[in-house]
Amino acid sequence: MARDTGSNLQMRRRLLFIFFLSAVLMSALVFRLGYVQFVMAEELQLKAWEQWNRSIPTRSSRGNIYDRNEHLLAGSATVETVVAVPPQVDDPRQTARSLAPVLDMSEERIYELITQDRAAVYVKRKIEEEAAKEVRLLNLPGITFTHETKRFYPNGSLLSQLIGFVGMDQGWAGLEIYYEEMLKGRDGNIVFPTDNKGREVPGVRRYIPPKEGMDLYLTIDETIQFIVERELAKAMMEFNPERVSAIAVNPKTGEILAIASKPDFDPNNYNNYDKEYWRLFPVTDTFEPGSTFKLITLSAAIEENLYNENDHFYCSGAATVAGHTIRCWTSDRGGHGSISYLEAVLGSCNPAFMNLGDRLGAERMFEYVRAFGFGSRAGVDYPGEGTGLIFRPEQVGPLELATTSFGQGISVTPLQQVMAVAAIANGGYLLRPYLIREIKEVDGEVVEQRFPEVIRQVISKDTAARVTAIMEEVVIQGSGINAAIEGYRIAGKTGTAQKVGPGGVYLSGDYILSFVGFAPVEDPQLLLYIAVDGAKRGPQWGSQISAPISHAIMKDVLSYLEIPPTELAEDQKEILQVEVPDLKGLTVDEAGALLDTGGLLLKLVGQKGIIMDQTPKSGAEVPLQTSIIVYLDDLWSDEDPGLVYLPELKGMGVKEVGEILSHLGLRMEPEGSGIVITQEPSAGTRLRENSVVKVRFSSPLH
Amino acid sequence: MKRAPTESDLRKQPDFTIFFTVLILAGFGLVMVFSASFITSLESRGDAYFFLRRQAFWVILGLMGMIATANFSYWKWRKVVSILLLFNFLLLLAIYIPGVGLEINEARRWIALGGFTLQPAEFSKIVMIIFTAAFLSKKNIKMENFWNSSFIPLAFMGATFLLILDQPDLGTGLAIAAVVGIIIFAAGLPFKQLSYLALTGIPFFIYLALNEPYRMRRIFSFLDPWADPLDTGYQIIQSLYALGPGGLFGVGLGRSRQKLYYLPEPQNDFIFAIIGEELGFLGALTIMLLFFILFWRGFKTSLMAPDAFGSLLAAGVTAMIMVQALMNIGVVTGAIPVTGITLPFISAGGSSIFFAMCAMGILMNVSRYSR
Repeated sequence: MARDTGSNLQMRRRLLFIFFLSAVLMSALVFRLGYVQFVMAEELQLKAWEQWNRSIPTRSSRGNIYDRNEHLLAGSATVETVVAVPPQVDDPRQTARSLAPVLDMSEERIYELITQDRAAVYVKRKIEEEAAKEVRLLNLPGITFTHETKRFYPNGSLLSQLIGFVGMDQGWAGLEIYYEEMLKGRDGNIVFPTDNKGREVPGVRRYIPPKEGMDLYLTIDETIQFIVERELAKAMMEFNPERVSAIAVNPKTGEILAIASKPDFDPNNYNNYDKEYWRLFPVTDTFEPGSTFKLITLSAAIEENLYNENDHFYCSGAATVAGHTIRCWTSDRGGHGSISYLEAVLGSCNPAFMNLGDRLGAERMFEYVRAFGFGSRAGVDYPGEGTGLIFRPEQVGPLELATTSFGQGISVTPLQQVMAVAAIANGGYLLRPYLIREIKEVDGEVVEQRFPEVIRQVISKDTAARVTAIMEEVVIQGSGINAAIEGYRIAGKTGTAQKVGPGGVYLSGDYILSFVGFAPVEDPQLLLYIAVDGAKRGPQWGSQISAPISHAIMKDVLSYLEIPPTELAEDQKEILQVEVPDLKGLTVDEAGALLDTGGLLLKLVGQKGIIMDQTPKSGAEVPLQTSIIVYLDDLWSDEDPGLVYLPELKGMGVKEVGEILSHLGLRMEPEGSGIVITQEPSAGTRLRENSVVKVRFSSPLH
Repeated sequence: MKRAPTESDLRKQPDFTIFFTVLILAGFGLVMVFSASFITSLESRGDAYFFLRRQAFWVILGLMGMIATANFSYWKWRKVVSILLLFNFLLLLAIYIPGVGLEINEARRWIALGGFTLQPAEFSKIVMIIFTAAFLSKKNIKMENFWNSSFIPLAFMGATFLLILDQPDLGTGLAIAAVVGIIIFAAGLPFKQLSYLALTGIPFFIYLALNEPYRMRRIFSFLDPWADPLDTGYQIIQSLYALGPGGLFGVGLGRSRQKLYYLPEPQNDFIFAIIGEELGFLGALTIMLLFFILFWRGFKTSLMAPDAFGSLLAAGVTAMIMVQALMNIGVVTGAIPVTGITLPFISAGGSSIFFAMCAMGILMNVSRYSR
């Protein structure tokens, strides 16, 4: 036996050293293990949990949108979505082959989806009930369903631009996007434990329920909206404009009761429409306001004591400012001549307003312009609100001051214009317009409530009353006469603004014809704004086009709101009968000017030239706002007096069409009722006497 | 009248603490191999008991080997050391013979032997221990003379190391190198030589750093496994995801989540993570304590051995278990770089279990001659 006693001691020391080293290392590992299992544990547990569990989302139901009377405007229906759980699919090839025809998808695409390395994939979302039933019958392993919601809009295009629409997963336009966070709620989840191949394993399945979206209650009144849109649709037919818009607000609260522009779209099929029509024009777009803006100049002048209605003013039809000649719209007939300021205001005389602007001076003028809310957003809860553009103080020279004073050279949104006039109607307060009265949880709990909000007082109550009185005169005997409604006191102002084309040039013959008015004067409940943009037919006067639209809307809305007529004095009733003037031999423009404050409506038959004939005949006593049909000389062929060009009849009533066709010696074959939607032959066709014209009538809204 | 003591008089009872500790660890291993493997085994082989059965077979075979070696007087190993060395190299080279060597997962570590597979590197561990202990305990060895003492086992070890590295099986190679190093150190390697040896390692690391940056990244990925969670950091992250949720008491036997394909081959190198997950810190600590008892009894045997060969032999086999256990637990807890090494007695295995238990038999035999 070998013994090496000499090195024994050294060996013992070294063995002990190794043993202690192993003890130290082992202890270190115990600490390391403890560190991992206790200190890092929480973080590791969290990450591991994420790895171990997969989830299938369960969608929250999107909140509904209601009008102020709780009528449903936008709702959500439950639809089914086909989901594949790839680890559970037995035979992907066969599964794809069976699904392809039912889901109307390519076999390849389905195969690709159901073989993904994921816990769950959407195969096809939001499918029809029929298809879901068929898929269910196939009873394929690993193919299951989840509920999703699909937006629907029961009223179709009604309010489409305001409400907007929902894309596959979220609001894409209008209030649907503005209130996305509140409407969408929060998705829930089904969380289940899986192995590393994504297959569910025994364990705790957890269901995190979705939080339902909140419901919006709008300030909009569905009935008023319907009346407004009906009249706008009618106007689209009759005047063939690029666009018509309207806003109805409660001038004392700032609540928007109706808002629309046409053409619009059907949010159930938004993709079939030009994106151009998705946005709510009266909020997002700006235009030169024209004469309706003169109310701002007038309010400022009265507030600053610079206006005396009895002072005299001489309008020569034009005025020169800083080397530029600015014409009054009456320049063709030599101007208004010598008139009082009241007459100048009622006659919407541009030089008179330039003079008022000059008296105010640039600084004060723009102070009022800004105070009335122009140049800054009205602050409504709609995405992409326009700001408009007014001159900055350092830009303002005499020319800028002059054009601003009668509403040209600046741009405003229709909504800004509305809120400024609302300030006149409610005694001087600029309010913040709003669209939502309440936001509620599904269980009825009120999350948010909106109340009228005064931004500032712009003019005194006294000034507001004086401006209102002048506006009432405009409706009684001025250019607003065609907006008058028997029995009601109405204040208003027409506007005929030239449109600015590319490069800042005014486009001749292309106008925005507007009207803004409110009623009843003694206690304003309704403020209405109408703009007809680029009408291609009809007389180009606000008094002839936008005021009658306002008349039609306001009449129905006042009656719907059950606002009682004001008792009128005897003498005011007499004006309701007017004598028809002789229009024969005049041009359309001349006739329009003559009838501007005359309380009669021009119905043009034919396109241009001088007036050949009219019904009723001159001298007849007719009620206010009666239509005078005038026949223009381009209806008759130059070569053969026996031939007539068939006029455009779209948008006319059956009585008018019968009158016109019989006057032209044509026979009518009517169909349906309402206003003219189509005619055959089409307008412009040359016809012999006694030819038959087929005319189809229908309601203007669809 | 006293007579000179004979060999059988000197023999006492072996240290049964070693025996039972090994049995408890192996039993633990059986339970955990089954728990870790039954789901994946059922799915891939249609047999939940596949690994359990195989483990039980090798544990029984190892038990027989352990009893045999415990009764085989340890100094007789000295006489067969040349044959053992010869077999060591023959087996390691047999791997290269087509039809004999088996390639599994791009590694050639096994040879087919009848119906069994044998892992020669596991045999190498024991051979290297016996040879180094026997060589350095010769009476005429002077440790001061490096070339005539330490160099010889280092050279044999080096050759073995290179063959194992070629399989490749860096973990086992490193373990053998460490164990041989420990025996040489215990035998009295002068500190001067020790420092020279340490210096020769430096160029090796410089070579690695310059020429195989990928390998370096892999080596040091344990410092921040989340930097590359899908590749180099994957195993460590999955191991930590087992340990973390285990906490103090564990999620319960058989209820590991990580064995559901998250931790690859959970019955093998990372079985300690499954123990930590199912049985918690307490279960893992129990395993570590059992190992520590084994170290303690092993070094005690080494210290009490009647001669230098016995001391070095006992120290060698104890160090072998120690090095592997520390390396394995170090890897699983993310304390050291990942090297593929099994946890002795516990990880699923064949040759590794058998030879580790035989080694413990040798240790027990040495303990019979304690002074």
